[in-house]
Amino acid sequence: MKIVVAVSGINAVDNPGPGTGICKALKESDLDIRTIGLAYDAMEPGVYMDNIIDKSYIMPYPSGSREAFIERIKHIHSVEKIDVIISALDAELPIYMDIEPVLQELGIKMLIPTKEMFKTRDKLRLKELAETIGVKAPEYRSCTSIRDLHDSTENVGFPCMVKGPFYEAFKANNISEAEGYFHKIAMAWGYPIIVQKFITGDEYDVIGCGDGKGNDIGVFAIRKMTITKLGKVWNAVSIKNEKLIEATRKVVKGLSWRGGFEFEVLVESSSQDIYVLEINPRFPAWVYFAAGCGINLPERMVKLLLNKEYETNSNYDSGKLMIRFTNEMIKDIKDFEQISTTGET
Amino acid sequence: MDRDKLSVLAISDSGFIFDPVTGHSYTANATGLRIFELLKEDKSEDEIKSILMEEFETTEDEVSVDVDDFIENLKKYFLV
Repeated sequence: MKIVVAVSGINAVDNPGPGTGICKALKESDLDIRTIGLAYDAMEPGVYMDNIIDKSYIMPYPSGSREAFIERIKHIHSVEKIDVIISALDAELPIYMDIEPVLQELGIKMLIPTKEMFKTRDKLRLKELAETIGVKAPEYRSCTSIRDLHDSTENVGFPCMVKGPFYEAFKANNISEAEGYFHKIAMAWGYPIIVQKFITGDEYDVIGCGDGKGNDIGVFAIRKMTITKLGKVWNAVSIKNEKLIEATRKVVKGLSWRGGFEFEVLVESSSQDIYVLEINPRFPAWVYFAAGCGINLPERMVKLLLNKEYETNSNYDSGKLMIRFTNEMIKDIKDFEQISTTGET
Repeated sequence: MDRDKLSVLAISDSGFIFDPVTGHSYTANATGLRIFELLKEDKSEDEIKSILMEEFETTEDEVSVDVDDFIENLKKYFLV
């Protein structure tokens, strides 16, 4: 019998969600998996990728009614008999953390952080976390008004990074640029806006998955070679950096992290000091890179949740390149009609 | 000079060098490659200069500048 895994974040757009990468990794695993896409919009590309996503459903927005969200999952579950949900979007994690007990009763398993873990990795608590794991955190201030922004940029200096509570980060060279980004991010993602000191260096990422007991079930590190204007990884190379891996494992152990994560750091050019930039509480959009190098984290997560044997090694080759590219699919308007009118493919 | 780092670098015959710890890559010419080899053999800077003078049939002044510059660059990129 097929294992049914529902995956969100199938918006493989210029600010890509991790869902299609997760589905691709699951389809290449040694499990027999039926993948269900949970989309928020009929134009999410994953809806049309029937080579890796067997069926998609439109979900109500997570910011809306909790009951409507649960009812939709119950409906999908009644048809699909979902075994596991892999949540791949920051903005929906709070509702999943909230309804996880309900899902458990339905027989649906998830490996996601607790509310306490989620709060600890908050961008506004990075300093505490950095101290715990023995790395640095760039100086930052939280802003909810233009006056805060002026005070913060005076304090942090220019250039600085202006970042949203969930997504987006821009480098501002002066106060007018900072104000522009402040409004742009606030309109899209709300408050607080974070002003962070700009540090010159290279950006690195480590991804992994914590079992909730202080252990990781595999980690994978990269150097970002090219990033987009939205700050998303476009090309990357796998690396073996013990200092980074050690810091990552301290995070997993210190927080007893549960679920996928992306540990974003910057290594300062002049000092080689490690600065923690963010801990994202889910797999990133490039999660397939790790799977392609033998560390199939979505597969391991599903196996862990279903009490199957899973590997925990982090044995991969350094020097593997990830080349992201754009692509087009040709579909019929009827496909759009189907998802738009019925809410499913 | 810390030469431990040299052992982890992936150096190909074409002069392409990949640092698996930082993910950076570099290219070196034939002279640079030879200096890498000699550093890995634990030769001193003076020994490297003498060997290169002989192998490349060049003057002490030229070799000194090249070797010093190259090693400075290696330090700058945290490769030694």
